[in-house]
Amino acid sequence: MMLIALVLMPLAAAALLVLVRPRAWLEYIHALAALSGLAVGLMVAARVWRGDIPTAVWGLLRADGLSALMVVVITLLGAIAALYGLGYIRAEYDDTHLTRVRSFFALFHVFIFTMLLAVTTDNLGIMWVAIEGTTLATAFLVNLHNTPKSLEAAYKYLILSSVGIALAFIGTALMYYAGASRAGEIAVNWTSLRAAASSLNPQVVRLAFAFILIGYGTKAGLAPMHTWLPDAHSEAPAPISALMSGVLLNVGLYALMRFKVVTDIAVGAHFAGPWLLGIGLLSLTVAATFLIVPRNYKRMLAYSSVEHVGVICMGLGFGGYWGVLGALLHVINHALSKSLLFILSGNILLKYQTTDLRRVRGLLRASPLTAGAFAAGTLALLGLPPFGLFISEFLIFRAGVESGPLWVVILGVALLAVVFAGMLGSVNQMLYGAPPDNMEHGDPLRWSLAPLVVNFSLLLVLGLTFPHAVAEALEQALRVLGVAHA
Amino acid sequence: MVTELFPKLVTLLSFATLGAAFLLIVRRDLAGQVRLFAVQSLALAILAGVVAAFTRSVELASVALALALLKVVVIPRVLNRAVAKIGLQRAALPYLGTPATLVVCGGLVVIAFYVMAPVAASNPLPTAEAIPIAFAGVLIGFFVMVNRRRALTQILGFLMLENSIFLLALLATYGVPFIVEMGVFLDVLVAVLIMEVFIYRIKENFDSIEVDRLGRLKG
Repeated sequence: MMLIALVLMPLAAAALLVLVRPRAWLEYIHALAALSGLAVGLMVAARVWRGDIPTAVWGLLRADGLSALMVVVITLLGAIAALYGLGYIRAEYDDTHLTRVRSFFALFHVFIFTMLLAVTTDNLGIMWVAIEGTTLATAFLVNLHNTPKSLEAAYKYLILSSVGIALAFIGTALMYYAGASRAGEIAVNWTSLRAAASSLNPQVVRLAFAFILIGYGTKAGLAPMHTWLPDAHSEAPAPISALMSGVLLNVGLYALMRFKVVTDIAVGAHFAGPWLLGIGLLSLTVAATFLIVPRNYKRMLAYSSVEHVGVICMGLGFGGYWGVLGALLHVINHALSKSLLFILSGNILLKYQTTDLRRVRGLLRASPLTAGAFAAGTLALLGLPPFGLFISEFLIFRAGVESGPLWVVILGVALLAVVFAGMLGSVNQMLYGAPPDNMEHGDPLRWSLAPLVVNFSLLLVLGLTFPHAVAEALEQALRVLGVAHA
Repeated sequence: MVTELFPKLVTLLSFATLGAAFLLIVRRDLAGQVRLFAVQSLALAILAGVVAAFTRSVELASVALALALLKVVVIPRVLNRAVAKIGLQRAALPYLGTPATLVVCGGLVVIAFYVMAPVAASNPLPTAEAIPIAFAGVLIGFFVMVNRRRALTQILGFLMLENSIFLLALLATYGVPFIVEMGVFLDVLVAVLIMEVFIYRIKENFDSIEVDRLGRLKG
């Protein structure tokens, strides 16, 4: 019941937002939907963490430990982005643009709905439909400002993601076939596929996983299928960028993880691992090349997402308890830090009216609060202690040292160092210097930034301590992924 | 008698869909391309109907009906509306000329047979023989998307790709479950409607629907 409410609430909110007229009502419904979504999301997760596996609608919806983790990430960051979105949209559009305001709010919740459906369904076909739905929901959001550039980004995003994910459908159909031909009549359910995994035809599973990797890898922003990502993530309005980079990429990874479990059982872990390592390393290389001298701070953040998705992929590729644990932790850490930075990038854009990195100078003097948070967030993103990303990256590369090959670890760390130098240098240029002469002092949307306190505190908690509750939640997700405690 | 005829009929209809894909490559006017897509979808719907009759599956029969409604009637209408509205009937300006394109697509068919051979061989279903044909359609759909500059032709390439994937799933497993197929149809319809809006916006913004003009985002 709770599960149905979780998935249907954002959809109902979207329907209401289309119908309601006054702007104040739109804003109330939007905020209320996001916050109650978070409440229900936490309740569902709490149930899972108590050892229950809630199912609904004849097993169509099912939430296990891995789903619970994703539900929390989606609803928490959804709520934070929604609250910032209230202020951001108010600053961008006055009442003469009410249609755009309405479509922003309505599509925002359709977007949340598709992501929640993707991570709480047991049916791999429905998961595919939902993930394609995320592309459809966000295509107009990327083009919200309707500039030629955002149009180009949205078109490219729609076409490339749809084609990429079409390949994932072939993979899904092949997996279904591999299951159906062995275990007799099965549904396209992950649970039944996993149960039958050891008797699947390995040749077909290998082929299916190749399609899945390219298909969902496109949605996750892995190189070389990442080309749409910097455009779409940099042209979308800041709250949407925050969700696309911080959360949506993880939904793609989530789908990959589900299939990897089945593939590992069917053909052994030695098959998928090297592929994930290679593609992760390639993503890291592509991102590092761009991040040496970025010219646009939103694109910089977008490429940094390619980098971090690559790191997560490497964690999955190294595998084992520590590798997968690091990958899951990194999913959470990256979501927290990247959504934080994209939200702040919205503030910088409002202040400077440009995304050109070279024209943003003296941020510390112009908007001290934004600048301070942006600097701290960047340090967190680059993996410095005391923030959580330090721990998760450490865990991933530690797993690499154990399982090898060692040169992959060394290359990976070297690329992280390149990213570190490049991004830190660019952010420094933004922070210092003299702001443009006629610029007023002060931060835009001060109060809308308040929810970011949550991001910072969680990043610190994950960096300094390892609370029992978090360990327990991760442990459950790890069991779903088939990695037992070492 | 029926069991002998069935695989032959399936293979024949699969070849018909592939033939439509090949003709689309050669065809230069947009209205003709849309018509070819409708023909391909019709062949596909008939094929789904044949499989439904053979397996006595009511679910699959309704999928076939929905497919016919969506891809033979609704989507071609949407596309024709777009063609009329942007007022373009001319050639779709591929990067590669027709002879070179045909050679490439021939190569893609060979690759498809090579890649899908293990799947076809291990499949006990009588429809399995045609699986490589479906995959060839997927590859050709891809190629159309990268080879044609015009947004509308790219969308047709995408739809053909989608058709071939449906065919692949149909041949390999007698179709994915009803609810999933309906979800996929919904996605395709929404995707086409969004793409239509984008075509209008591209036309407005760039005064052209050649995707070459979209080249401002770099780095």
